[in-house]
Amino acid sequence: MAPLEDELKAALRRSEPSPDFTERVLARVAAAPVRRAPRVSQMWVRWVAAMAATLLLAAGGLEYRHYQGERAKSQVLLAVRIAGSKLNKAQKKVQMMTHRSIS
Amino acid sequence: MPRRTPAPAAASGFDFASLVRQHQAMVFSIAWHLLRDRAVAEELAQDVFLSLHQHLGEMESPEHVLYWLRRVTSNRALDEARRRQRRPMVSLESAPEPVAVTPAGDPLLDTSLRKLVAALPEKARAIVVLRYQEDLDPAEIARVLGIPVGTVKSQLQRALALLREKLSRVAGQASGLSLGKE
Amino acid sequence: MKAAGLLTACLLLAGAAGAQQLKWNFDKLAARASDSVDVSLEGPLLRLGTSFLSDTDKDQAKIKKLVGGLKGIYVRTFEFKKPGEYSQADVESFRAPLHGPEWQRIVGVHSNEEGETVEVYIRSEAKGIGGLAIIATEPKQLTLVNIVGPIDLDSLSELGGQFGIPEVEVDKKK
Repeated sequence: MAPLEDELKAALRRSEPSPDFTERVLARVAAAPVRRAPRVSQMWVRWVAAMAATLLLAAGGLEYRHYQGERAKSQVLLAVRIAGSKLNKAQKKVQMMTHRSIS
Repeated sequence: MPRRTPAPAAASGFDFASLVRQHQAMVFSIAWHLLRDRAVAEELAQDVFLSLHQHLGEMESPEHVLYWLRRVTSNRALDEARRRQRRPMVSLESAPEPVAVTPAGDPLLDTSLRKLVAALPEKARAIVVLRYQEDLDPAEIARVLGIPVGTVKSQLQRALALLREKLSRVAGQASGLSLGKE
Repeated sequence: MKAAGLLTACLLLAGAAGAQQLKWNFDKLAARASDSVDVSLEGPLLRLGTSFLSDTDKDQAKIKKLVGGLKGIYVRTFEFKKPGEYSQADVESFRAPLHGPEWQRIVGVHSNEEGETVEVYIRSEAKGIGGLAIIATEPKQLTLVNIVGPIDLDSLSELGGQFGIPEVEVDKKK
């Protein structure tokens, strides 16, 4: 029996939604209502929304930056691990051959 | 104060329709594997893309879009799963087994496994789906779900052990059934 | 971490200004591989990843020092379902850019028993050694590493010979 993890990958592979999914999403986007604030407080609402958007954008951007950094760090470590293991293998072989030729 | 409203999708540089087509399978499948209800999963997937459209101006790169979609889909699907279940959290070990007994090694193994996964508690289910559907490592899963990486690793280990045990029980019952027929 | 120790030696061999990423074409292999690892780090992303390495973890701090001056790290590993999915011609296509006068092979080991080969190349430039390439083949796996970046010759001379790399004689002025 194949290892469970291979079976899970097979069982949980992605599948497509219904064929008209994209069209339905685009239709909903086109139909999404535009909300307008009451005229009297429109400027205030815009200013608050702008502040909130700025803060959210900054927070989201910082969070994504951290995610990017951690991901890049993982890749550095992975690359070093792979390259190091190959060089280690070469080193061991050379050492083995050196010992054999001496003896 | 300069005007700063969420940038419209058209100004973001992303082709929204292409993004939908590119990622619809991923978004739908995460929702479906977590909810096991195709219609609800499609509805949720549409909502996620609607939200993406509203936040498209904040996306910094295709990778950001991917991360955002996985995060929002997983968290919304988990919220929906909890709402639909309306039951107290059960421990991993007491997760119910599927009603239908499907022998292991049968072409229906995929279905059995999906049902077993669907029977896991929500968080464990999400971790398994992100690991095996999306091929994310524990650190990435932790970031998507906003939980510690240690929790991801321990939950994943326990979920696999439980799935192995339940799967072998299912296979054992199936063998017992076929023997009993003679 | 022994691998990190050996890598220390070889990364110190890596690159002067002007060294560039090897133009390897992975399309054919990628189409045949059952699984692959792809790391391509350069510029801002490499600097970002390096900055996230810990200063307090011994191994990470060593690696941080090593990769700190590098321009690019490129690693591709391809795994195949069965032996014979890639040919010697495929491997030769990766050796081809390393035939130029600026590259020299410093290590080449082969194991008949395991069917494994590891080749290590360094790139020489006016200012010194400017790049590193590794081609490692196994029956069901092929790994290609290319590192581009600056070199520290004094450190290299201290490590010479310890890791199977031929000693590099450096005149030390006292």
